Order: sequence, then C-alpha cells, then structure tokens
Amino acid sequence: MPKKRLLILLFIIISIGLMTYQSGREHISPFQFLSNTINRFHELKNSIKNFVTSPFKTLLLREEENKRLKAELSGLLKEQQKFIEAIQENKRLKELLSLKEREHRYVTAARIIAKSIDPWSNAVILDKGTKDGVAKDMVAITDKGLAGKISSVSYSYSYLLPLTDINFSAGTRLRDSRTEGIISGTGFRKCKLKYIHYEEDVKKGDVVITSGLDLLFPPGIPIGYVSKVDKKGVGIFQDIEVIPFVNNTWTEFVMIIKRE
Amino acid sequence: MNYILWAVIIFFTIIIQGSVSLFDVTPNFTAVLAYYLGVKRGKINGMFFGSFIGIVEDSLSYTFLGPNLLSKGMIGYLSSLISSKLFIWTPVLGIISISILTITDSFIVFVSRSVFDIMPVSIGVAVFIILIQSLLNAPLGIFIKPDEK
Repeated sequence: MPKKRLLILLFIIISIGLMTYQSGREHISPFQFLSNTINRFHELKNSIKNFVTSPFKTLLLREEENKRLKAELSGLLKEQQKFIEAIQENKRLKELLSLKEREHRYVTAARIIAKSIDPWSNAVILDKGTKDGVAKDMVAITDKGLAGKISSVSYSYSYLLPLTDINFSAGTRLRDSRTEGIISGTGFRKCKLKYIHYEEDVKKGDVVITSGLDLLFPPGIPIGYVSKVDKKGVGIFQDIEVIPFVNNTWTEFVMIIKRE
Repeated sequence: MNYILWAVIIFFTIIIQGSVSLFDVTPNFTAVLAYYLGVKRGKINGMFFGSFIGIVEDSLSYTFLGPNLLSKGMIGYLSSLISSKLFIWTPVLGIISISILTITDSFIVFVSRSVFDIMPVSIGVAVFIILIQSLLNAPLGIFIKPDEK
C-alpha cells in the first residue's frame, strides 16, 4: 500500500478514534483560547458596523416623519414664495420709481424677458419697443449703474447689449483721477478698461464712470470698479480689468434713458 | 512567515464565516481554504493544513474535537487527488469539484456529530444547509486552479 494511502487511512482512524474517545466525556478543545480573540474581533466588527449603519437606521426611522413634514412644508413654502416674490418686485419697482424721479432723461422702464437666441451673445431682450419710445443706441441703467445700450429695436421689443458683451464699448473715466479710457466687454463677467497709459496711477477699487465723450452715453453713470491692474504687459497701456456694478444675471428691470 | 500568514488567513476566514449568512445558513469558507491548500500544496500538505483548520474550527465551535478535523483533512487530501489525477482543470470542473467537496465536508461533519454526539439538525434541514453551503462555495471554484506542471 502506498505511503500516502496509508497516511490517509491512519488519519481517518485517528480522527474516528479521537471522536470515539470524547464520546460521553469532556470535549478536547486545544484552540479554545482563540475564541476570546475571535469574539473580540466580532465585537469590534459589530461596533464598526453599528457605527456605520446607525445613522442610516436613524434616517430610515425618520423618513416617514420627514415625508409628512415635507408635505406640510411644501405647502407653506409655496405660500411664502408668493409673498417673497411680491416683496421683491415691490422693492425693485420702488427703486425704479425713485430712479425715474431723479432721472430727467427717463424714457421707459423695461423688464428683461429673455436672453438672446444667439448663444455667443450676451444680449438680452426687453419687453419695450418703439411703441414705448425706445430707440436704437438709447442707454439702459439700473439703480446700481450702467447696464448697456439698446442695440436694436422692434415695435414691441428691444435688444439690450450689456456692457460685458464683446461688442460693447463706451468712453469712460476714473471717478477720482479723471483719467480717460474706453471700456469694452470681454464676453464674460468682466470688462477691459483700455488705453490707460502705463504712467497713470490706477488702483484696485477705483470706480469707473462714463465720460460722455463718445456722444452716446450721458456722463457720470457708474460702470464698475477696477479689479485688476497689470502694468507688466508689452506696450504703453495698462491691462485693467473692471467688474461692472450691474450683473445682468440678477437684473430683472432696467430703465431706458436718452442722452439729453 | 508563510505560516503566520496562513494563520492570519485562517483567523479572518473564520471571522468572515461567522459574520455572513444566507437564509440563516452560515457559509463553509474553511472548506474552500482546505480545498485551496490541497489543490496548491499536494495531498499530504493539504491533509495536514486541512486538519489544522479543522482542529481550530472544532475548538472554536465549542463541540468535540474531530468532525471538522476529519472532514477538512479529507477535503485537503481529496481536492489534491481530484485536481491532479482525475481531470484536466476547467472552470466548470472547478465549480463542480468544490461543490462536491463542500457537500462531502458538511456530510462528514453531520454524520460524525450524529454518530459520536447528537444529531445537530434534522436530515431535511441538514440537506438544505449543505446545499446552500455548496452553492455559496461553488463560484470560488472558478478561481482556484492547480498550478500548471
């Protein structure tokens, strides 16, 4: 008989003998000391499991309550939203009214109803047209400052070219130093202030206003503030970034004024 | 170092085995370990390591020493025998062999306990437990293949 088979036979006999020996006697457990260690591991595993799952269990328990509360809350929020809308609209109209009272060049107030279909343009559509006295190149302002100019107009609607549009430019000056330049849109949220000589002292935070020298925009309308000044560029002019006071994303109403 | 690693693997296999269940049936991953050792290390080593796993399992299960010692030792021996002598390994044969050996393992334990102690469960429940354990171990047969000679 080969050794391996003899060994397995021996193994079986020993095992059966061992079991027979223990039958009706106290059990032999040579590795029982490991059970404590294993149980500690199980305890540790359970505490980790509880730590991980208890928040989810709590969440599940509260889910029902949350559903009920959410239903109640959504009803209340709808009501509240109506009031908030009314309050905000009231505030905006009051601002426009006070602006109208101050502004003798007032033509009309217009609401921004949509963005231009052209995805590359920042232009927006206003709900006022020639029937309301709006004409091309009129100026749009808000209580914060210059919003843009009317680029085209139809009977009932008009297109407002905001000052951040790449096609926009206006004559400007720095309010404090009276340094003149030209502001242009960049197509994004910022504008560029051009043609400011590198020897001119321009600081971050300087306010930019319209100069009126372009014969298009009335002088003194706030445009924005200087956010970045770079004198290191090549050439004789500084590279200046301006953040407009009027953000078209958040503007709903504008006032249209004429030059004189 | 290798023995320490195997001790750690056996330790964690027993912990995992005690932590999961399917239809209230605890899997028999230690049989997979014995099967693996038999396939990879040959008959004698497989039997030796299998019986060691069995002794540990018997000790930790608070029953008498022997059923798992015998069954795991047999699995270690038989897995090596099957993989080396009886067939050329393919994934399907791997699944079949691990399933059969799991059934064999559980059957030996059940019979040993029934003969030398008391019948742990009814025969119907035992069949159910053995089949579930076999099903749980079956996919692992795909990954355990003998080393090419």
